[in-house]
Amino acid sequence: MFGVVPVSERIVEAYIGEYASGKSEIAVNRAVDLKKEGRCVTLVDLDLVEPFYTLRPIKRQLTETGIYVVAWETSETMGLGEAGSLIKPEMRWVLRRPGDIILDIGYGVEGAKVLNLIEGAADNKNLQVFVVLNIGRPMTDNVKDIVEYVKELGIVHGLINNSHLGDDTSVDFVQQGAKVITEAALVLGLPVIATYIDRKFEFEINSKIDIKGNPIRLLDRYMTNTFW
Amino acid sequence: MAEKPIQGEKRVFMTGNEVVAWAALAAKAEIMYGYPITPQNEIMHYWTRLAPKFGKRFLQTEDELSAGFTTLGGVLAGRKAFTATAGPGNTLMQEPMSMAEMMRIPSVVIIQQRGGPSTATVIYSQQEVTMTTYGGNGEGLRVVYSTANHQELFDYTIKAFNTAWKYRFPTFVLGDGYQAKMRESLTIYDPEEKGLEFVPTETFLGKAPVNGVKQPVHLRNTYNTEEELYEVITRYMEEYLKVAPEIIEHREFSCEDADIVVVSHGVVSRAAKVAVQELREEGLKIGYFRPVTLRPFPAEELKKVAARAKTLLLVESAFGQMAKLVKDAIFGSTVALENLFKPGVGITSEEIVVRVKEIEKGALAK
Repeated sequence: MFGVVPVSERIVEAYIGEYASGKSEIAVNRAVDLKKEGRCVTLVDLDLVEPFYTLRPIKRQLTETGIYVVAWETSETMGLGEAGSLIKPEMRWVLRRPGDIILDIGYGVEGAKVLNLIEGAADNKNLQVFVVLNIGRPMTDNVKDIVEYVKELGIVHGLINNSHLGDDTSVDFVQQGAKVITEAALVLGLPVIATYIDRKFEFEINSKIDIKGNPIRLLDRYMTNTFW
Repeated sequence: MAEKPIQGEKRVFMTGNEVVAWAALAAKAEIMYGYPITPQNEIMHYWTRLAPKFGKRFLQTEDELSAGFTTLGGVLAGRKAFTATAGPGNTLMQEPMSMAEMMRIPSVVIIQQRGGPSTATVIYSQQEVTMTTYGGNGEGLRVVYSTANHQELFDYTIKAFNTAWKYRFPTFVLGDGYQAKMRESLTIYDPEEKGLEFVPTETFLGKAPVNGVKQPVHLRNTYNTEEELYEVITRYMEEYLKVAPEIIEHREFSCEDADIVVVSHGVVSRAAKVAVQELREEGLKIGYFRPVTLRPFPAEELKKVAARAKTLLLVESAFGQMAKLVKDAIFGSTVALENLFKPGVGITSEEIVVRVKEIEKGALAK
C-alpha cells in the first residue's frame, strides 16, 4: 500500500495542498532525502502566483547539496514581484529531465491546476500527486473537511500527514494528525504516504511508523529561512 | 443558520491573513468589502471561502475608494462591516475613512503594510504609520492598533470592532506583510465564551420609527461656515482626548533602571524584545517600550520612561514615522534620541544589539 513507486524507477512527485500546509517544506525535505540516497534530483518551485518568494532565499543552499533547483531568480526579471503569473520554459518541460522530479506546487486548489501546464504531466505514469495536510489548520482539521477539500483537487495519489503547530508542536499533536488523516484517507480510498515530524522529536517518537502504522519521515525545517 | 465558526478554543497554525479572516468571523462581522492588493489578499481569500459556510457576505468593489465607501454604507445600514488593504490601497482608503471621522461612522480597516512610496514592494515595511495615524484631511480622529504576532492579530481584530462601535471612530489594525504571510501558532476562540460582550451595531439610516414617530438622522460631512465646523471639530477633539486614556495600550519592561530604552512597534518589537533580553543578560541597563496604540499614542507612559532614561533608541522599518509620534509625545524631554531606521526592510535582534552597543561605546567615550 505504501510503496507507491518501486525504488528502482524514477520518482516524480507533486506536492499540493492548502496555502501554508507545508508543501514547500515537505518538497524540499523530500528532495534532500532523495539526494542523500545518491539519486539525481530536480526540485521545481511551481508557485505561479508569487513566483519569486518561495524557494528563492534557499535556492543556493539547496543547489550546493547537488539538487537541481528550477526556480526564478529575482535578478532574471524585473517588476514581477506579484503581478507576474508566469511559468519558466524550463518548468514547462521539466518532466523531460532525467532522474527524480519533485514539484512544489503553490496556492491551493488553483495552484493544483498548474499541473496542466507541465508537458507530459497528464500521461506521465510515474507522476504521483500527494496532498500535504496539517490538522493545525482549521480548514483541514477534521475528517469531513479534509475529504471535501481533497475531492476538489482533481487527481490525487496519496496524503501526507504534516500536522504541526510550528514551534509549539508536540508528538501527541502529530499522532492526532495521523489518526484524523488516516481516517480521511480511508474514506477517500487513498494511502497515507508518510507522517512528517520535526527531527527534534526523533528520540521521543522512537519509531519508524506513526500510531496508525504510516511511515515516519523526519523533517528538517528549511522554510524558516524563507518568507512568504 | 450555520453553526458558530469557532467552538471553545483551539490551538492552530496559520498565516496572519488567515488569522484576520477568522478573527472577523469570531467578532461576528457580517460583510467584508474589498479590493485585492498584496500582501493582504488572503484576508479576502479566506473570508470568501468561509463566508458561505457561516451566512456571511463579501463584495469585491472596483477599487479601494469604493471598498472604503461601501464599508461605510454597510455600517450605515446597520451591518458589522470591515475592509482590508495595503500600501497604495491604504492611500485611497484615506478618503472614505476621513469621511468616517467626520460623520463618526464606526469602521474597521485591516492594513498589512508593504513597501512605499507608491507600488514599491509587495513585501513589507512600517511605512504606513503616518498615513494610518493621520492620513486624510482632518485631525486623525481614529484608533490604530499596531500588532506584533498572530495572537495579537486575532485579539486586536476582534477588539477593533468593539472600539470602533463603542467610540465611533474608524479603527485600524496595522499589521505588515511579514505578519500577513508568516506562519505561526496561536489560540483562536469564541470571544463571547470568554466573557467578551460585543458592542451592538445600530442602523444609522432607515431606522425604525420610535412610538410611531420617525426620528431624523442627520450625518454630515459638509458644513456651511468655518464656525459651524469649528464647533463640531472642537467637540469631537474633546471627546477623542477624553476617551484616549481608555484606549491607549503599551508594553514595557526593564525600563525602571534603563540607560537606553529601545522604542519600537509592531513586528519590529519582537526583535527589540529579544535584543533587550540578551543585553540584560549581558548586564547592560537596557529597557523595552512598545506603543500598541499608535493613535492615540501612549504619550504619558513614554514621558515617564524618557524622564528616567539617558537615551531612547527608536527602531523602525521606516525613516522616522514612529519617531515623529515619539517626538511629539515626549516634547520637552531632554532625553537623547538615537535611531535605527531601515525603511522597507526587516530588522533583526542582532542589528539592534549592535546599535545599542555602539551607543553605549559612544557614551563611555564622552
